[in-house]
Amino acid sequence: MNAPENDNRLPGGFTAEIATDLASGRVVDLAEVYALNAVDDAERAAIEQFLASAPAADRDAFNERVRQARETLATSFTAEEEPPPGLLDRIMSSLPAQATQPSPAAEPLPGTGPTPVMPHPLHDSSGMPVTDELGAARKRREERRRPQGMRNWLVGVAAAAVIALGGVGVGAYVANQNDPLNQVMQASDVRQATVDVNGGGTATLSISPSRDAAVIKMNGVPAPPAGKVYQMWLIPKDGSAPVSQGLMDAEALSKPAVVKGIGSAAALGITVEPEGGSATPTLPTVAAAPLGA
Amino acid sequence: MRTVHLDKSPAREAGAGLLPHAAALGPRSPVGALCLGVMDTPNAPNPEAAAPAGTSADINGRLGSLLELIARGDQAAFAEFYSLTSRRVFGMARRVLIDAELSEDTTQEVFLQVWQNAAKFNPAVGSPLAWLMTISHRRAVDKVRSSQSATDREAKYGASSQEIDHDSVSDEVGSRLEAEAVVRCLGTLTDTQQESVRLAYYGGLTYREVAERLNAAVPTIKSRIRDGLIRLKTCLGVS
Repeated sequence: MNAPENDNRLPGGFTAEIATDLASGRVVDLAEVYALNAVDDAERAAIEQFLASAPAADRDAFNERVRQARETLATSFTAEEEPPPGLLDRIMSSLPAQATQPSPAAEPLPGTGPTPVMPHPLHDSSGMPVTDELGAARKRREERRRPQGMRNWLVGVAAAAVIALGGVGVGAYVANQNDPLNQVMQASDVRQATVDVNGGGTATLSISPSRDAAVIKMNGVPAPPAGKVYQMWLIPKDGSAPVSQGLMDAEALSKPAVVKGIGSAAALGITVEPEGGSATPTLPTVAAAPLGA
Repeated sequence: MRTVHLDKSPAREAGAGLLPHAAALGPRSPVGALCLGVMDTPNAPNPEAAAPAGTSADINGRLGSLLELIARGDQAAFAEFYSLTSRRVFGMARRVLIDAELSEDTTQEVFLQVWQNAAKFNPAVGSPLAWLMTISHRRAVDKVRSSQSATDREAKYGASSQEIDHDSVSDEVGSRLEAEAVVRCLGTLTDTQQESVRLAYYGGLTYREVAERLNAAVPTIKSRIRDGLIRLKTCLGVS
């Protein structure tokens, strides 16, 4: 059932700008792009505003195309992944009462209103109960877990599985008893942890509290994209700003790096930054590992 | 650029995160008639009764009933709704956001919306699953755009799309046949249409960002998205 090739037909009158598309009568043809959320906020607003004053037939045609596109997407994109255990419990415990809901009559049903807006406002806005509840739940969770500001850093640490913990073989690193790297590796209290790096490979940390230092070794991590470097950061326990620990370009990737001053740090993070590094990390991290006991 | 050929390995050809269910599908079986039965539509008489177990229509029938109960504050119904759909919501959030904790936050926000807005669900304007995934995708896209630059999203999308799908594959006959229909129908899209739609959906990119990434003209990308989704809709028999 191969449909005739029509990708090469004229671009259907589309222009480079949504505003121009709207002005030239293409609003209905924007339904798929709109349903796919492939517009930015300003463009979405422009489309909705345009439709509000468009002829009913155009509005209906647009809404119908949006509906069909959404059904199509829900059928076609079916990635599944098990959410973290306990998430349902956390959600259940934060469910607000429903009595505060406005009656359905107070707000138009999705698709029946004058504009094809989403079923509900989705942007976080401080006035929304859902946001308040969520914000409160998130805050509780953060307080329970770790200092403020840490949350984004420990991205995926829970899921990014600490693969190995325990004594470290000295092995290949033995070269010079006095070099900082070996001092860490041969410390009596050294322990090792391996975390996954987004994009591939792992980072192995050898942590020695007595030496107040850690050795980071990347394993099988792809070179950073062109014009980018990896940058390492220590995230202070007191919630202050992350402190850069240096850059890793493609060449440095193969060598172990020593990071000192871990005693006051809660975690180590690695980000991708423009060449030359950044003053503050660009989130999210590609890898993060807790350093504390 | 790869083309989806259904007589080749569908997992490899149609991969890049679009079709987890396709990975374990065996040789093609005749699916010509299946498309028409795929979607629950308001016009179809009692679709859940006629649908094979495990199809969207089957699941949508149950989800619709649960939403009515949730609207009345039924927490057990909410928990069942979650158990039926949380893998989809979290799985999509992970594809878009990569980051596990942001994905968890997104999933939590989505289900809170389900709880609070169940009464507003209107079956006349879409199936429960489409309603839910629309909320989920919008949430995930908003979050990814506010938390990282387009460049990072592209880089991460590139990384994630190379991962092997490890999604479990339902052994329900209905859902397998449905997944087959999706594979077959995706094969009717051009490579460039598929790529543009996928970048926008799982990459969280705007049409303009898709155009930049693919080094294509902006109007061309809008056309690919429109034509690709319409072609997919037609093949799947979404009405």
